[in-house]
Amino acid sequence: MGENPEVYLIEKRYELIHSIVSQVMRGERPLTLSDMLDKIFLHKVFGIPIFLALWWALFRFTFDVSAPLSDLIDLAFSKLGEIAMTHVPNERLASFLAQGICAGFGSVLVFVPPIFFMFLGLAVLEDTGYLARAAFVVDRVLYKLGLHGKSFIPMLIGFGCNVPAVMATRTIDTEQDRVLTILVNPLMSCSARLPVYVLVGGAVLGAYAAAGIYGMYLLGIGLAVCMALLFRKAIPFFKAERPAFIMELPLYAVPTWRGLFMHMWERGSDFLRKAGTIIFAVMIVLWFLSTHPWAATHGGVDVASSYMAVIGRTLEPLFRPLGFDWRCVTALFFGFLAKEVVVETFGLLTGAGGADLREAVSSLFTPVKALAFMAFTLIYVPCVATLAAIYRETGSLKWTLFAVVYELLLAYAVSLVIVVVGHVLGFP
Amino acid sequence: MIRVALIGNPNVGKSLMFNNLTGGKAHVGNWPGKTVEKKVGVCVHRGVKMEIIDLPGTYSLTARSVDELIARNFIVEEKPDVVVDIVDASNLERNLYLTLQLLELEANVVVALNKFDVARALGYDIDVEKLSKLLGVPVIPTVATTKEGIEELKDAIIEAARRKRRPPRIEYGREIEEIITAVEEAIKKDVTLVERYPTRWLAIKLLEGDEEVLKLVEKSPYRDEIMEALS
Repeated sequence: MGENPEVYLIEKRYELIHSIVSQVMRGERPLTLSDMLDKIFLHKVFGIPIFLALWWALFRFTFDVSAPLSDLIDLAFSKLGEIAMTHVPNERLASFLAQGICAGFGSVLVFVPPIFFMFLGLAVLEDTGYLARAAFVVDRVLYKLGLHGKSFIPMLIGFGCNVPAVMATRTIDTEQDRVLTILVNPLMSCSARLPVYVLVGGAVLGAYAAAGIYGMYLLGIGLAVCMALLFRKAIPFFKAERPAFIMELPLYAVPTWRGLFMHMWERGSDFLRKAGTIIFAVMIVLWFLSTHPWAATHGGVDVASSYMAVIGRTLEPLFRPLGFDWRCVTALFFGFLAKEVVVETFGLLTGAGGADLREAVSSLFTPVKALAFMAFTLIYVPCVATLAAIYRETGSLKWTLFAVVYELLLAYAVSLVIVVVGHVLGFP
Repeated sequence: MIRVALIGNPNVGKSLMFNNLTGGKAHVGNWPGKTVEKKVGVCVHRGVKMEIIDLPGTYSLTARSVDELIARNFIVEEKPDVVVDIVDASNLERNLYLTLQLLELEANVVVALNKFDVARALGYDIDVEKLSKLLGVPVIPTVATTKEGIEELKDAIIEAARRKRRPPRIEYGREIEEIITAVEEAIKKDVTLVERYPTRWLAIKLLEGDEEVLKLVEKSPYRDEIMEALS
């Protein structure tokens, strides 16, 4: 009978079903195109490499197609800023319009094309039926690594935004699997972190930018898996028996344009709405902190003597081993509100927008430090909204605080490793 | 009035079947204490009034998810006169697992072999009579999208409600049958359990380590005897 009577009983039932079906069913199901595709996509050996290749193709598509559009938006907003600076007589108002509104909106809207294209690509994978296969392929690995197969869907959603992802864990049956999936979910790189990678990676890594960004996503997945394994082993709460994963694979289908655009719009506009509300409020606060005291900053010109700089300089010693200067630290500090705010903060701190911002940022980092900064952005505390979701879904202050503390420590450790390894290998 | 529960795997055409049977008129509420939707409708066929209760779509009847528990508790505790199991004919092998579990629950099952047209288009030829004989329950081929076989299904439901039959037993092989019998004997001493639940099903669920059934047995005065037979 073996070790587990439940498995034995299930096997017996399937034996019976098999014998019934073989007696009543004549005719064989012809091999459909769907079956043939599954033979390839669900292959034991090739399944994972195919998954990684498609994911990579999605990234290339996202960045290559959206780059010219982003440049256009960028140009428009820096022109608007210039107009404000030259035509508005009141200095403080001009500074607010140019450095607050135009630079702020510009630096966010620049990321609308890559985000929309990313969701378009994701919608193609989803509507063709491949995404369900990806869940299936990855489950084989995930299960061994301590996560539940159903965790995969919330993890995938995490690439869009961790807030709905944390909420999507409701489909997971057991409490342990749910909390575990919630805790590692913020390591899935959400779309708000993408602007930071694009800015820093694009400015510093040159031809290797796409690879570096892709690497961040893989790093996030890898860390999520490591942490899940670690928590499963080290925390008594997570030690429990785990049910198997049952999931239906829909037939492959040709996606419709309507469906694709609907999916893209739903998720993309979500980002836009956020950019329009939370970020707008944050932008005003940031502009104030970076231009005041008005006299000390000589009318918002000298950011180095602003309130913002004070915050950054206070925290700087903590980050010296990582090689982040006060501007990076300030950006990370405000990134807690929403991770894309890191980009705006850089914009305010360097007083530059668009292509100038890129240049300004490139002077802040060496390639190794850029990677360390991107990794830090990926890992450190989830944004306010995600934390709220974690608190709501776990119903526990303890787990929420745990998420904050472990991610801060992990971010610091990983960035330090990147910097140290980089130095050992002889990179500046 | 005959009480009929509709059950089936997800994506077998269950909601469409519900609409076909009830004419789309449904009372929609929630299952007690749950956020899962409960739909109840009425069907009158040949002068017989039937209450149709839509159970959540599930692949099996374990205690692991809310949906499965709702479906299972309804069948075990409310004891509907007939349980219509909607089976996807184009995916017979997977769908029959739920059917076997319903038989184990000693429900009065009628199988609606739905998507019969899709199965045919895929090149399957299903011997309906033989399937009915092997399962020991009526099997009606249907196509919910075109309402084919719906009248026959209604006839079969009324017929099944009149003539409650004992479902066939699923044999698990001598070694495990001995344990099942021993556990069942111990359970049979508890009259309240015998009245409310199929004892063989309780024994099998205990073997599977089903949490809800374990909780039930915990409350029994014969708890120690049952657990001893189990080990």
